[in-house]
Amino acid sequence: MSNQVNSLKKGLTVKDLVTTGIFSAIFFVFTLVGGLPFAPNPVLTFYMPMGAALLCGPIYLLMVAKVQKRWSVTILGIIMGIIWFATGMHWAFSLGYIGMGLIADLVAGAGHYRNKAINLLSYMLISLGGIYTYVVFFLDPDGWASTMLKNGTEQSYIDTMNASAPSWLLVVIIAGTLAVAAFSGWVGGKMLKKQFEKAGITA
Amino acid sequence: MMGGASSRRGLWLDPRTKILLLLFCILSAMMAPSLFYELGLVVLIGLLGVCFGKWKYAWKGVLFYALIVLLTLWIMDTMTGTWRTMFIAFLGLFHKVYPCGMLSGIVLSTTKVSEFLSAMNRIHAPKKLVIPLAVMLRYVPTIQEDWRFIKDAMRMRDVSPSPKGLLTHPAMTVECIYVPLMMAASKAADELSIASITRGIENPKPRTCLVQIHIGPADLLAGICFAAYLAVGLYWKGVFG
Repeated sequence: MSNQVNSLKKGLTVKDLVTTGIFSAIFFVFTLVGGLPFAPNPVLTFYMPMGAALLCGPIYLLMVAKVQKRWSVTILGIIMGIIWFATGMHWAFSLGYIGMGLIADLVAGAGHYRNKAINLLSYMLISLGGIYTYVVFFLDPDGWASTMLKNGTEQSYIDTMNASAPSWLLVVIIAGTLAVAAFSGWVGGKMLKKQFEKAGITA
Repeated sequence: MMGGASSRRGLWLDPRTKILLLLFCILSAMMAPSLFYELGLVVLIGLLGVCFGKWKYAWKGVLFYALIVLLTLWIMDTMTGTWRTMFIAFLGLFHKVYPCGMLSGIVLSTTKVSEFLSAMNRIHAPKKLVIPLAVMLRYVPTIQEDWRFIKDAMRMRDVSPSPKGLLTHPAMTVECIYVPLMMAASKAADELSIASITRGIENPKPRTCLVQIHIGPADLLAGICFAAYLAVGLYWKGVFG
């Protein structure tokens, strides 16, 4: 046990790294499960970040409760970024996860990884990592479709895009993702209290 | 597993080369000037898959992509209005994702964790990142296995693991899925960290590995092929126009 006391100062131990890795795996799978029903559907594809945020709350909160050290959440974000990048997701998606991972880490660190409300807030922030693809899409809809429309962008395409994907959709995506993440984190917090704290799983 | 036997028959590439190929592929998909260029990229990846001895995966992947390309052309021709916009947005994402997803499928199924760790060590990647990444890649199949056991256990206790059960008893079903999965995960984390410390993961000396990794002619050839394809996409766009 003296080892563990030392490690608090030293930073992440091997145990923390392995824990982060395993929870990243579950985080990834649950993001996939939540997001996949949305992604292949042209109408719902914009709401993908909400689906992704729905399932991961308990996992994230348990990981934070188990490790309770700086950088663990950042590593989670970076791994998500790398994996999504390697599976060919849009680069903004990956960068979003890495950036929001760092921010979420800093936020959770402000509560020393023990304050439940702040942990919940940091989960909401990391869930926003998925929206950056859509931010890029809304900033530059022409570039998005240039591969498919050979002679640059048609005027009719621009018109329909403006009609069917208005700018408030982005607000809906962000607000919706935050709301879904808050719900997921709330369920996660309750579950943590009911099941895992009693079992002594949390550190 | 089967991977060991089949990878010996096929081509062997350095994990570092594979990462490089993945990077080239992502860049190519990002800069792709036209649909046919992307189709060519997918065919190139299919050829790589064949070299690795993955015939089935390769031709299925290429065939599926060809169908999607046809579908895209058809939609561009016939559809108008909102539906067209929706499909353009969706297919835009799909065409960007597909080639890289296919390549990373090949890469993940042909790379062993120990090879990956050696390669990462060789390029001096920070251990803090490499260890969780390796653990994660190894743990994903385990989740699948766990999920099957959990489903069986749920059925035994009359909790339905289907969407219908989720709707009728949401709290119960959610708890029955998450709690065992996360319990198993945190147990596995404890055991795995003990095991890896026993096997000397904290050893400050350079890591050794039975499989020697080195960059050979095959690596160079594959790298040049993908780099050339990227260059073609960037500088001779007219060829595919």
